[in-house]
Amino acid sequence: MISFLLIVHSLAAVTLLGALTHQTISVWWPARARTGSFVSSLRSVPSMTYTNAIIILYVLTAFLGSLVYPEYRLNVRVMLQDFRLHVPEGAFELKEHLISIGLGLLPAYWYYWKYPGAKEAAATRAIVTGLLAAIVWYAFLTGHVLNNIRGFGS
Amino acid sequence: MSVARALPVFSIAFAAIYIASVYYNLALVTYHPQLGQWALLVEAPKEGPAMYWYGWLLTSALGAGAVAALSLALPARPVARASAVLVWLVPVAMIALIAYILRGYFLR
Repeated sequence: MISFLLIVHSLAAVTLLGALTHQTISVWWPARARTGSFVSSLRSVPSMTYTNAIIILYVLTAFLGSLVYPEYRLNVRVMLQDFRLHVPEGAFELKEHLISIGLGLLPAYWYYWKYPGAKEAAATRAIVTGLLAAIVWYAFLTGHVLNNIRGFGS
Repeated sequence: MSVARALPVFSIAFAAIYIASVYYNLALVTYHPQLGQWALLVEAPKEGPAMYWYGWLLTSALGAGAVAALSLALPARPVARASAVLVWLVPVAMIALIAYILRGYFLR
């Protein structure tokens, strides 16, 4: 069951990473004209349409992560401590806190993308989106490394 | 007056309260994964480790909700102007602070 949840957690994380990366690129590096190239298409996605999906995916990914987290505390973290793997252990501790801060950031993220009265705050919207993307990238890479150290069936 | 304007205040307060909750261990609930038991407030580990993360999230959500509700009593325009900067500045500062708190893991 834990392996199944971990796989679904990973898939949700990949989807979230893709959506958020698309949105971040389109808001930080928007295309002036769509030329039909891959890069131009990447830069010209309708970024606002991603917002609700990103919020749902973030909450879903965090929720699935919270379900597998006790397994990490019982079986993975102890091993990291036994082998004195302090950097991966610390990286995961940091991931835990970054994900929490990202969760708290979601209401503001929604507000600056979707609330009609906040549409003029373009700089804030871009920075909040970039911050959320940085959090998700860090969390994804850390989770991937930790899974490589002691993941499925180990 | 829209309630939605309190959302950035929620996010600002959440980040600050969360880091305070971690630093001072102000968890509203504790989970004992080895026993599969939940407890109110902070409990010492019983059998195996104790998990406070869920409690820190709960503390932060309730605290930030209260701060956001109180912010609705303040004038909208100055709060919106301050929120537009603090909404990313406070989380970035809190991330830097938690990285500093956890530096021992990376400097051994």
